[in-house]
Amino acid sequence: MFGGYIITVSITIGIYIILAISLNIITGYAGQISLGHAAFWGIGAYCSALLATRLGLPFWIGLPLTIALTALIGSLLAIPCLRVREDFLAITTIGINFVVQAVFLYVPFFGGAMGIGGIVSPYSTSSFFWITLIFVILCIVLDRWLVRSWIGLALESLREDETAAAISGVDVVKFKVAAFAIGSGLTGLAGHLYAHFMTFISADDFGFPQSIVILSMIVFGGIGTLRGAILGAVILGVAPEIFRPVLDYRTLIYGGLLIFMMRFQPAGILGDQSLLPRMFRAVRQRGLEPMRTGG
Amino acid sequence: MVFLAVRSLTKDFYGLKALGGVHFSLEQGEILGIIGPNGAGKTTLFNIISGLLRPTEGEIHFQGVPIHHLKPHEIAMGGIARTFQIVRPFNNFTVLKNVLVAHGHRFYPGLLSLALPFEKENHLGQAREILARVGMEPYQGSLAKNLPLGFKKQLEIARALALEPSLLLLDEPMAGLQYEESERLAGLIRRLREEGISIILIEHNMQVVMDLCERIVVLDHGVKIAEGVPEEIRTNPQVIEAYIGREENVA
Amino acid sequence: MIWQQFANGLAIGSVYALIALGLTMVYGVLRILHIAHAGVYALGAYMGLLVFRFIPNFWLALGLTMVGCSLAGVIIQRYLYMPLLALPRIVPLIASIGLFIALEEIFRLIAGPYILSFPANPGLGSIQWGMVRITSNQLLVFLVTFSLLAILWFIMSRTKLGLAMQATCQDLETASVMGINTEKIIATNFLIGSALAGAAGVLVGVYFNSVYPTMGSIPAYKALAIIVLGGLGSIPGTVLGGLLIGLGETLLLGLTDIPFPRDALAFIIMILILMFRPYGLLGKE
Repeated sequence: MFGGYIITVSITIGIYIILAISLNIITGYAGQISLGHAAFWGIGAYCSALLATRLGLPFWIGLPLTIALTALIGSLLAIPCLRVREDFLAITTIGINFVVQAVFLYVPFFGGAMGIGGIVSPYSTSSFFWITLIFVILCIVLDRWLVRSWIGLALESLREDETAAAISGVDVVKFKVAAFAIGSGLTGLAGHLYAHFMTFISADDFGFPQSIVILSMIVFGGIGTLRGAILGAVILGVAPEIFRPVLDYRTLIYGGLLIFMMRFQPAGILGDQSLLPRMFRAVRQRGLEPMRTGG
Repeated sequence: MVFLAVRSLTKDFYGLKALGGVHFSLEQGEILGIIGPNGAGKTTLFNIISGLLRPTEGEIHFQGVPIHHLKPHEIAMGGIARTFQIVRPFNNFTVLKNVLVAHGHRFYPGLLSLALPFEKENHLGQAREILARVGMEPYQGSLAKNLPLGFKKQLEIARALALEPSLLLLDEPMAGLQYEESERLAGLIRRLREEGISIILIEHNMQVVMDLCERIVVLDHGVKIAEGVPEEIRTNPQVIEAYIGREENVA
Repeated sequence: MIWQQFANGLAIGSVYALIALGLTMVYGVLRILHIAHAGVYALGAYMGLLVFRFIPNFWLALGLTMVGCSLAGVIIQRYLYMPLLALPRIVPLIASIGLFIALEEIFRLIAGPYILSFPANPGLGSIQWGMVRITSNQLLVFLVTFSLLAILWFIMSRTKLGLAMQATCQDLETASVMGINTEKIIATNFLIGSALAGAAGVLVGVYFNSVYPTMGSIPAYKALAIIVLGGLGSIPGTVLGGLLIGLGETLLLGLTDIPFPRDALAFIIMILILMFRPYGLLGKE
């Protein structure tokens, strides 16, 4: 149906969308800055790869186990994050990224510098595309359900004001752990897809620069919004392909774009306060003016 | 059984005594005023009762149950709600959503109930009723950050009421308000009391305290220096000393 | 053996301290995690090398680099951070990471991806104490770092400017109400911090005789761990943190066979300490 190249890029973008949605839950909704999201993704990929190669578990049995294990490890790693706030949290998550990557790289069980190879994917690339697409849709449904549920409301109240949330009956510790558990459960999914799509993983795939890329996605698109997370993942997934002709300048463009966006459109392309959505709302409101209520 | 009993409550901050053995109690349905000069430890007292701070020593019993070791959300669920001296609404939420956060307190402990949608008509209706009680229903769609101070304070009270509290802690609700705003708020406090909610009120405005409160506790430097009905407090020499005599002592 | 490692660790640690100092000074006034600071450090190494290629004098290279880097720091402060101050913390943080990535790429595009040598040691000679040999490179690092720290200490504690800087660090608003020109003080913090980073770049370039585009990436994040250890914003805490990490890394890796990368060690220590002291070693709530 499509060329193999397009399918490959699309699968990568699909995995990026899942990662962006998961980080958006932790950082965008619950307000817990994570600069180590690639570590959680790596934990998912390594869990999946080990279950597949060491225990020989098939794809669909490995999947729920990987999600559960990653969610569990993610919530355990959230424990040091519970004690710290804001900048200390940001640096702690960077630290977690470096430590987790070092464990993958230096502990022989995880394959060391060689990584883990020989993961067998039971599906052809085009079937894999459809499977990824279905999971992306499921994640979008999950996200929509989450923001409309009491748990989503509690997470957003944490982002707005932790103290005010606590005195309103929100269990701060429980909901922070919940945010990390849900978020890292989704990275488990992304890791499982990634490991089976690539059939080979190594510690280099999950370093701190990768965390920055994931964070850039949600910040670019508009942090705290689902549409922003998806758009950001698509842009940063497609951009390397578009800029392939100027390969040597690709990273420079990326860095420059980060600066430019933060300087001139800090809420992201589709963030609530940004230019595009404001224009869109203005146009729509003009049509609906008589129906508007409240201030 | 005493409704709220505070016993020899002490709080040290890095060797500084913010509270030094404060003792008082509250009967059900009462409005108790807490006054005292700046730095007397009034807000610290509220922070301890609401669970934001742990006391260094001492106990707090609410309806016979010790609560001084509980976390803020447990205390909120137990029926003690509060407002802040410097208002802290959820700024980027609408007025209605602010109230809904606290309304959700009954769903947060469960696992299944957490997954239910919060924008159900019955929840919205109950939240609107609470807004109506504080006279803010027309503003339910506004963002909290865009409200004038008086309404922000009323919104905090509405959010507190959504916890269905039996005790309400109000930290200087009148500070910074215009005359009409504070009149409106005083009326609201009286109404809440008639509804059967007990209230502890920290307030600088003496007139307000004397008008609203049945009993007053005076703190100075973390110690209770007087307690009694407004008439007694007005004429208590120690209280006058604490408020007015300070300068003479310094001079 | 252990004393030899001690000397090695102290040399690395004092360079860490120099880099982290600028970071902590910036954090102290603006509460920004200035990741691009490590870009200024790499810029320093390249600048020093450039000067040295024209006029082969270490001290001249060091001096001009410090001037150049302090300028770069003030430009970053003025045109990147000041407009972003009122926004959520994540905005300047990402802008800073963006700048850091861009700087690394600019170095690579201009000077090439290679490791360039920087043989600029002015020849201080080495010292031998029994088993311990302090190489001439180490001697240079100690001498320069110690002098710079002494100057910094003098400025901070003995001059009006330093007192104003400390006041601004404590509380920006109060300082501004008290009539301190806080904008100037913030710029001064960037100026001094960036000069120190530039000096660190030159020192490391000479110490390892190598300058390359990504030389800033490890210090960038390790310096974060160090300033957290010191309790964000504290100058003595940062010097202490830098020395501790430098020594800890060198001793642990030199004397044991734990197969662990030295670069993750700083973060392990940091995370452990944060578990017990969520505001750092010398930090307060």
